[in-house]
Amino acid sequence: MNPQQHKFKKMKRQYKFSLPAVLLLTAVLMLAVTSCRDKAAYRALIISGQAEYDRETASQAVKQILDASGLFSTDILIAPEKGEDLSGLSKEFSKYNLIAIAYRGDIWPENAYGAFTAFLEGGGGLLVYYPKTRFGETERDEPVSSAISRSHTFEVKTVQTDHPVTSGLPVRWLQPEDIIVPSPVLPGSGIKVLATAFSDTAYGGSGRAEPVLLAGSEGGGRIFATMIGLPGEEQEQAVHSTGFIATLQRGAEWAASGNVTQAVPSDFPTAAAAVTRTGFRETSTAEAFRMMAAYDIGKSTRYYTHIREEIRKAGGDQKILSGLEREMVKILNSSAATAEAKKLMLRELGWMGSDYCVNAVKRLIEVPELKEEAESALERLGK
Amino acid sequence: MSGKTSRRKFIRRSAAIAAGAFVIPEIIPSTVLGMGGVKPPSDRVVIGAIGTGSQGMANMRDFLRLRDEVRFTALCDVDSVRLDNAKRVVDTANKSNDCRTYVDFREFLEKETLDAVSIALPDHWHGIIYTAAVNKKLHVYGEKPICRTISDGQAIVSAVRSNNIIWQTGSWQRSQANFHRGAELVANGRAGKITRIVVGLPDGGRSIGTPPVMDPPPELDWDMWLGPAPKVPYRGVSHWDWRWILDYSGGQLTDWAGHHIDIANWGAGLEHTGPEEISGSGVYPPEGIYDAPVEYDFLCRYANGIEMRVANASRLEHGMGTTWYGDLGWIHTDRGNVLTASDPEILKEVIGEDEIHLYKSENHWQNFIDSLRSGRQAVSPVDSAYRAISVALLGEIAMTTGETIKWDPDKEEIIGNPRASRLLSRPYRKPWSLPEA
Repeated sequence: MNPQQHKFKKMKRQYKFSLPAVLLLTAVLMLAVTSCRDKAAYRALIISGQAEYDRETASQAVKQILDASGLFSTDILIAPEKGEDLSGLSKEFSKYNLIAIAYRGDIWPENAYGAFTAFLEGGGGLLVYYPKTRFGETERDEPVSSAISRSHTFEVKTVQTDHPVTSGLPVRWLQPEDIIVPSPVLPGSGIKVLATAFSDTAYGGSGRAEPVLLAGSEGGGRIFATMIGLPGEEQEQAVHSTGFIATLQRGAEWAASGNVTQAVPSDFPTAAAAVTRTGFRETSTAEAFRMMAAYDIGKSTRYYTHIREEIRKAGGDQKILSGLEREMVKILNSSAATAEAKKLMLRELGWMGSDYCVNAVKRLIEVPELKEEAESALERLGK
Repeated sequence: MSGKTSRRKFIRRSAAIAAGAFVIPEIIPSTVLGMGGVKPPSDRVVIGAIGTGSQGMANMRDFLRLRDEVRFTALCDVDSVRLDNAKRVVDTANKSNDCRTYVDFREFLEKETLDAVSIALPDHWHGIIYTAAVNKKLHVYGEKPICRTISDGQAIVSAVRSNNIIWQTGSWQRSQANFHRGAELVANGRAGKITRIVVGLPDGGRSIGTPPVMDPPPELDWDMWLGPAPKVPYRGVSHWDWRWILDYSGGQLTDWAGHHIDIANWGAGLEHTGPEEISGSGVYPPEGIYDAPVEYDFLCRYANGIEMRVANASRLEHGMGTTWYGDLGWIHTDRGNVLTASDPEILKEVIGEDEIHLYKSENHWQNFIDSLRSGRQAVSPVDSAYRAISVALLGEIAMTTGETIKWDPDKEEIIGNPRASRLLSRPYRKPWSLPEA
């Protein structure tokens, strides 16, 4: 056993879930595949490779998710095959605010280990993603795979509501078509379980509540781990779920900076519904209004709920409400907008509208299909 | 006239007057008269039921368990299958087949001669039907929450007062020993001066998806089910699941306000007032026709300095139930006969003769019948029921607007916020309107 391994083994007992454990999982670098140099506040490096999973899908998804937050410019580094030279890794870390990592593989050489330790102790952030990542588990250890659940939709429970990553999130929310992995033994200090999911034996799970979001620190740096978001499952729902996306973005920002400035998105799931995005980006309010105009009964309600959430978030701010009201009036005035869309806009305008909407509402009294709703809105507006 | 007037007088005065003087021929099978130990039908409260869904039937069974206290004679529901089932239950209990049934409550109220009515309907119907029943001078056992909007509640309270009838809200926890004891300990200062109350109500979460339009089942009069609510096509969601849709309910928050907020108010002496400032936020499902908040967390400040936090149970240390915090400790109570305190000694305290003794009822349905007979107010009168649901409805307004709401609990008005004030009432779909008291 070389001194490095010895040091790791020693620390592993103490911090089974933090830096040294992660280092053991990790190997090498080879090339930066893609990067985008824009005005992003933070640079992130995904180190991928040497793992038994679809690393391309996983790392590309994480890159897109991080970049979609607008906060990160992300590079991907694919590791060389096992046994190849990993020493080039050491040069890379200092350029980044966040290292994202997902696999186990060859043990890092000493220079890379030292550079990574310095990165974290100097305040860098570590993001651990991919559910099948096993912390602190070497290839010599017995795999703890027997209690990994089959893919299914399950409820996540936010157990720490005062951590920056989970503050403001629903206490209960659904994660669609994902697996739940059994937890590693958690250390006595430093690591906080932010969210758990009950791993039902009916799906081959452990029969316990397992941690799914975790946060900890090492030196001056921060570590965020997400155990959800397995690519390749049913229609990629797990990776495209807003619960996974938003917690990854928040966790990454916190790991990189110690703060979370992102608002909880209006499509964050609840216990009543899991929600997925077609891509990874949050629907903009402009897009929500565009889609709202095409609403019909039986279609997704998400654009309507998005608009209602914007009204709530406005918190009475007249300027924001006026902007929303203008967009709603556009739908009332649009010949392309559906009657059902107009009915829903009339409902909202009825309580939050101002004089601005009154003429548009009055015109709809002439439309037999909308007469009742338009009159109700006017009654409520006192007009 | 009227058997109706006579019987009602009887019910008001029967505690003092011999029963034989008020014979009501139409409901007295002569064979029953004078049976030893069993009240003759003329002594029974003649009661009808509007709403024969799960809660309506649960209440009916609770009344029927009182055996010879009540006789159901008429039922009303917009679902004919439910109505038929309910009629079978009643006819079996009555050993007859003459229980009358109605789809339209207006016809029910017009034609029937009753002492009392048990009402359990989706919340959006409460304002109209409670007020109409009370205006008929019927005593009402009415399910909580008593109203969907503050203005509905005000109309109901006003109607109950002006008609001087007995009102019992389905806030049956008041008739459970642990809730009574907890509230009474608090009322007598055993937790000290109360500064904070935490009320935990259920999380939401049952998914009802985004169903397509479909034909209503033949047994359901969908337009009548909707009543004053906005006209929408049938999508397979009516019974039970109405409570997840804001047109008809406020979700778990308003469904349970009449339980744990009511108990909180009872102990803390807030039954006849309301908060002055309400702020908080909700979590709303982003997808699907379930649009009530599945999570909620808001704070109410009262003039006397008390702060009441109302939230879904998963957010709270004690979970479900009511917890009063005073300067001497805390007292917590919940279903399942839960009554705990920061110091178990608090729970052993004896309430002295000269101290406050909260209204004691051991059976919520019996208490209603007893009140009819004695003329004494029931354990869960309309005023306190209105104040309990008001807290939830004001919380709902704070969450909907995203604003801190200022409320005048005496004038019952929102102060300085016309937009939020519009949420105190809702336009009714034509031809419906709130009956005048």
